[in-house]
Amino acid sequence: MTRKMMIAAGAAVALATGLFLVSPAGAQSAGVAAAIAAGQVGEQADGYLGIAGSVGADVRAEVEAINIKRRAAYTDMATKRGVTVQDAAAAIGCQTLGNRVKPGQVYRIGAGAWQTKGAGPIALPSYCATAG
Amino acid sequence: MKTKRILIAGLPALALGGCIQVKAPDKPIEINLNVKVQQEVVVKLQRDAQTLIQNNPELFPQ
Repeated sequence: MTRKMMIAAGAAVALATGLFLVSPAGAQSAGVAAAIAAGQVGEQADGYLGIAGSVGADVRAEVEAINIKRRAAYTDMATKRGVTVQDAAAAIGCQTLGNRVKPGQVYRIGAGAWQTKGAGPIALPSYCATAG
Repeated sequence: MKTKRILIAGLPALALGGCIQVKAPDKPIEINLNVKVQQEVVVKLQRDAQTLIQNNPELFPQ
């Protein structure tokens, strides 16, 4: 069985069961990282990754798998601080948009359109006031 | 003796005329602490967020 066939089989199983099988960590982030660099995937102010352009099923599955793990991490954080998962996720969004999105990469605030980060900082939502 | 009387006579006048009158406000005084509490929650969450991102780099590809 070739590697390609294994990946295809894995994707088929994932689609059929609704579960996303986690491929090796390196391979997982490589596809998404490339898509982020290409402006097809980007960070959202709500704390999750979003799909901005056309991506393959494999990248889409990786993004969804990452978001599921993020949500679990945000839930822990929210429980610890006694806030809603949404609030915890929004705090992450302030950090990703404020500190991690690089010029040329895309991001989205709320239900707005995808935007490409320029040379300057992203205009963050007001609730991010103290993000830094 | 004479000066003392004048002083005593002057006191009520002072009390009536020269006092600053403090009047209780009609409405209860409200001190809004919500803003500060909210701000502290945001600051703590931002720190948590930074830590979470640092500790889970695989969830935050760049």
